[in-house]
Amino acid sequence: MGVQPVIVSAGFSEHASKRSDVNMAELMNEAIEDALNKCNCTIDDIDCIINGNMPAFEGANIPELWMTDHIGAKNKPFLRVTTGGTTGGSVAIAAYYAVASGLYDTVLATSFEQQSCGSTTVGLSSVALGEVSIYLELGYDFEKLRRNMGAGAAIGIAAYQAVNYMRRSHCTEEDLARVVVQNRHNAAKNWWTHLKMPNYTIEQVLDTPYISYPLRFGMVTPASDGSCAMIYTTEENAKKFTDTPVYVNGVASVSNETAIVTSEAGGCGQIDPCEQLGARISARLAYEQAGISFPEKEIDYVEVYSPFPNQELMWLERLGLFEENTAHLQYREGVTALDGDLPVNCSGGVNSTNAIGASAMERVAEAALQIMGKAGNQSPKEIHTAIGHGWGGAINLITLSILADQPRRKYKGGI
Amino acid sequence: MKGEILTTKGAVRAEFDFWVGLYLDKFLDGLEQKKFIGNKCSKCGKVYVPPRKICGDCFEHIEEYVDLPDTGVLTNFTYTIWAISERRPRQSKNIKMIGLVKLDGADSAMLLPILDTEPENLKIGMKVQVVWSERPQGQPTDIKGFKPIGGA
Amino acid sequence: MEKVGIVGYYQIKPETDIQMSRPEMIFYATRGALDHAGLKRDDLTTVISATNDYYDGKTISNCFTVDAGGAYLKDESKVEMDGAHAVNYGLMRCLSGHHKLALVWGASQPSTFYYSCIRVLENDPTFDRPINLLNDYTAAALGMRAYMNKFGVSVEDIAKVGVKNHKNAAKNPLAWNEAQLPEITVEDVLNSEMLSDPVTKLMHAMPCDGATALILAPEELAKKIIDDPVWITGVGLCQETYYLGDRDLSISVSMEKAAQKAYKMARINDPRKDIDVVELFEHSAYEELILAEALGLCEKGKGSSLSSEINGEIPINPSGGNIGAFTPCATGITRIIEAVKQIQGEAKGYQVKDANRAIAHGQIGFCAQNNIVYILEGGKK
Repeated sequence: MGVQPVIVSAGFSEHASKRSDVNMAELMNEAIEDALNKCNCTIDDIDCIINGNMPAFEGANIPELWMTDHIGAKNKPFLRVTTGGTTGGSVAIAAYYAVASGLYDTVLATSFEQQSCGSTTVGLSSVALGEVSIYLELGYDFEKLRRNMGAGAAIGIAAYQAVNYMRRSHCTEEDLARVVVQNRHNAAKNWWTHLKMPNYTIEQVLDTPYISYPLRFGMVTPASDGSCAMIYTTEENAKKFTDTPVYVNGVASVSNETAIVTSEAGGCGQIDPCEQLGARISARLAYEQAGISFPEKEIDYVEVYSPFPNQELMWLERLGLFEENTAHLQYREGVTALDGDLPVNCSGGVNSTNAIGASAMERVAEAALQIMGKAGNQSPKEIHTAIGHGWGGAINLITLSILADQPRRKYKGGI
Repeated sequence: MKGEILTTKGAVRAEFDFWVGLYLDKFLDGLEQKKFIGNKCSKCGKVYVPPRKICGDCFEHIEEYVDLPDTGVLTNFTYTIWAISERRPRQSKNIKMIGLVKLDGADSAMLLPILDTEPENLKIGMKVQVVWSERPQGQPTDIKGFKPIGGA
Repeated sequence: MEKVGIVGYYQIKPETDIQMSRPEMIFYATRGALDHAGLKRDDLTTVISATNDYYDGKTISNCFTVDAGGAYLKDESKVEMDGAHAVNYGLMRCLSGHHKLALVWGASQPSTFYYSCIRVLENDPTFDRPINLLNDYTAAALGMRAYMNKFGVSVEDIAKVGVKNHKNAAKNPLAWNEAQLPEITVEDVLNSEMLSDPVTKLMHAMPCDGATALILAPEELAKKIIDDPVWITGVGLCQETYYLGDRDLSISVSMEKAAQKAYKMARINDPRKDIDVVELFEHSAYEELILAEALGLCEKGKGSSLSSEINGEIPINPSGGNIGAFTPCATGITRIIEAVKQIQGEAKGYQVKDANRAIAHGQIGFCAQNNIVYILEGGKK
């Protein structure tokens, strides 16, 4: 059986809409130095570096080849893992497997995005354009196609998810605004975030115009420049670096099929994009690995990947933390606030800071920091078990990391 | 599967603007003044041009800037009729000579055009000197290229 | 390290312009690998893909190939490097104990884009890209010149590698048609189109469409699936610096380090004696010599003196190597499959005698900046 991986440090760079003072390599280096400085670790202790970003936004293919020196990868093993919006989470999972396999002892997992280098809209819409452009050959009108796709890939998908979710759960637009306000207030108390809005109100959110019903401009995630780095190592080595190691007990990244038109405009089986079968199965696999049978009772803290507020509600249900169609009620009761029973996204979440390549890793990093008691916006609750979740692709890629302050309980399963 | 294969061709216009960071910024300022600026790692003493934030061997910040002469040595070269383009392959009218130029005093080399000579004359180790563009604007292309000087 | 075995594989025949869409190609490769192993898609627990967003011309290139690659509702991820690096990730997943079968596939269609043009995007965007002088032709030219200058190797000696690989490709039914040149001579190679002095077309790998897949399984399970699986007994990975001006292009530091790690794991002390066959990913003919030297098969600069024919002392690229069939992102997996075929005795037409231990290699970056080396063992001893 494998080795038990442990997280000993997590670092961030400053996030902003334009980090004009650094190039990509230096931006990534900032987070790496932050992570190394926060524990007694130097670059010589690192056996392998794994990095990822979403290359559409910088117009550079495999930028780590150029960035080798800046990320400490000179003459070291290096892997690049990229899966779109879930890149950060996939890198975190790859670092987990690198340690668990026994091939590498201490692994530096890094991810970044410098979105101000390119155009976010072009980058996002190029996800689907290649597949749906075949419709143009079949006689479809381009304007119609653009409208049906919904104003660029990410918002279009989120809008379809939101409409389906609202139909199922009967949540209101006010509920969506409440999620946004909670996230932005949390971000104001966290040092590395982008949109710090301590005085944002639900009325202000609902006062902004719609982009694509039911999502309004006030609800939308920003585009940020930033990076994140984490250090994974073995349980034995952890003592060298920190007194508060965080055990990674379960990981999963199960993919669903793409729910727009799928490959070659062939149509797909998914009718309800908020059903998220991939998330349900990922959760089941990850909980099994981690030895968690009742997530709603055993999980103390959650960081979910929700650039749009309806997704936050959706994920909490699909990951088994709240019953179907009740997440918005929990928000009304303050269950997910900083001092609530199940704090969610105390970092401010993706809704406040979105350096796309790094976002999913930042969720894992913040979950780990909450367990360590070292988060920027630390919850007063005692956090023993936490989830770091990521979502991306056209609808279909999910990453999940289950973290705890104790190693996984032995279970009979696997091979 | 039989039948006609449907294909579609398209182009998405994607423009990029890269932040260069403070270290390369200093170098580009130097180019505007028609001079070369590098930086020197305080740990291992290596001199890099263009300057970098991190020394790859030491993984330390490099804070000491150094001025460098505008002459150097050609450490490698090639020449080609194929234009280097990200769009599609095409041949240029003239052969383009390019080479790795190590400025005197530097430990790293830059890949730049080689001018004012013929491909047959290129030799590894030959001394070269910069040719600046007429109106430098603080861009990497202010360095028009390097030309051979004196004997090889 | 526990042993992980390769229990199935499939390579579709690469073509200049394959008459299939990308998902179709990927499906045939992955379905072929499952059929070869006698497994069902249900048996898989994880799928790792190797594709490149810029080569596929779409962001998140793997999100639309989830179903074609067999990853629907499976734990999957993607490595955006060469296929050999994706195999490393699959290997990590199997060794962790959480996965029992890993399907690894790689694919690309260079007929839909200009490969050497897109290589420009790997440049340092702040300095090298505005100057715009580095693509894979000029990088190969600089590497070749550095090697020739340092060791006095002639351009004919390098052309001989091109001749060997094109002739070997002619014996390999799964090599690319345009690379299968059984009558080729050194003159032909030297007189072919000049890409960037001194690299000519017939001594440089030209890309073609294709897809390959293989399946990994941990030891116990591998033995149940097939008799005599081929084992991965060592792996080494290393990346050197990007700046060509910082590097000595006549040697490969990262290849040496990667090989050392792999040898240590597989307990190989004398590669010249212990290794029976080598499959390298050579982007250009001169690279094969540098990489062979970095593996310790001979002294530096003496690569051209190696007897590397199919019936030679240390056969290198009996399948034709990368020059024989270069599909970006899939090539590394093809090299591993060719090495496995040699060990299993399945390389009809280009079989090396008594091959029990092989090296398979993958790389990425200009002038082989990042190298990964596998030691494969098996066969009837």
